[in-house]
Amino acid sequence: MYYYIFDIKRCKNKSLVTDIKSYLSALGISGEFTYPSTAYTTEELVELGISKKYNTIVGIGSDDLANSIASHLCGRPEAMGMVPLEASPELCSLIGAKTWREGAENLRYRKITNMKIGKTANGNGFLTDLELGLKGPTEVTIEFRDYLVQAKITKLVISNFNPEIKKIGPDFLDVVFESVAPEQNVISRLSNFLGLSKEKQNASFSLFRGRSLRLFTSSQIPLTVKGQQIAKTPQLIETSDEDLRLIIGKKSSILQ
Amino acid sequence: MENNIDTIIGVNVTLKGNLYNKGSIQVNGSVEGEVKSDENIIIGDSAKIKGPVIAKKIEVSGEVIGTIEAFDKLEINPTGRITGDLKAKSLIIKEGAAFVGKSLMPSADAADITDVKKEEKDKDDETEKEIDEEISKPADKPESVDKLGFFSKK
Repeated sequence: MYYYIFDIKRCKNKSLVTDIKSYLSALGISGEFTYPSTAYTTEELVELGISKKYNTIVGIGSDDLANSIASHLCGRPEAMGMVPLEASPELCSLIGAKTWREGAENLRYRKITNMKIGKTANGNGFLTDLELGLKGPTEVTIEFRDYLVQAKITKLVISNFNPEIKKIGPDFLDVVFESVAPEQNVISRLSNFLGLSKEKQNASFSLFRGRSLRLFTSSQIPLTVKGQQIAKTPQLIETSDEDLRLIIGKKSSILQ
Repeated sequence: MENNIDTIIGVNVTLKGNLYNKGSIQVNGSVEGEVKSDENIIIGDSAKIKGPVIAKKIEVSGEVIGTIEAFDKLEINPTGRITGDLKAKSLIIKEGAAFVGKSLMPSADAADITDVKKEEKDKDDETEKEIDEEISKPADKPESVDKLGFFSKK
């Protein structure tokens, strides 16, 4: 019933692998364990699990593993579970499990929610946040359906799920960025430094929502999920047309 | 005004096109196009909008060049500058605000017109009364005027 894809690189000590397996057996939800490697990538393992007629594919690992599994299971009847190891607070909040034990317990109760995932044009998906890997202030243009936005920014996050942002709809991506003045002279910089600027600090933050957007920059910039590059600009980013069936816990923020 | 905001346009951000939200919108940057919300629109000090602004409640602290339509309430703060016509059920213009255009208050139209007509009629009646009283007064003696020399010449 359960097909586990175990990213053992996330286990700081080898005894943790045994501990997790034993705990899952004790909960009565043991199954087949597989491990991503150069021989079998995560994507290939997911396909293998589906072909073996498993109805639940579980990732044991972090955000990169979760996103790879989600990308392949989105739109399919098989459910996805997650046992977090070194996972981001956003992913933990989404699945409602801060520890691997809590993640394992969620699997036993098998509470399933249908959710959209974020997708880039190259087919890579993301469950939580996608970040533009900026090294300094950069001019960007974001094209939404009815309008386009231009700004010089220092940080940009495209969020499919973030507990800190109240979503307006399940199929909307939230785009948050921090803008800077296009050109600042010495007096402006001094004014900012001394806190004399009339512009409030929080007024530099922007928030936009959209089902689909195109992101343009003057040069190619990587789009990353927790440090791992999944695409580059220019890029089309949108929510998936179909749902992912995700196993979550009672503490999941998606339920609030 | 409520702070349940769906879209925030930050300072130094330019938006071109039409922005429509069911929830509230906060503008601190520049917009070239229509800004429309089913809830509130808050236009900050640093904001500049060239285009129509339509919402239930609108608060203006920045610059708007275009028409503004507030189904409920429009508030122009001291730093607010508007060039364009206004349409609002309730309008508050604070001291220091600049407004160039016409204002229309749709819901109060009928009642206001009736009141204005009634006031005008009352005023007219009073004026007629005063004129009648003036006419009925006895005429001034020509001697007093004559002292000034207006009627002395024959």
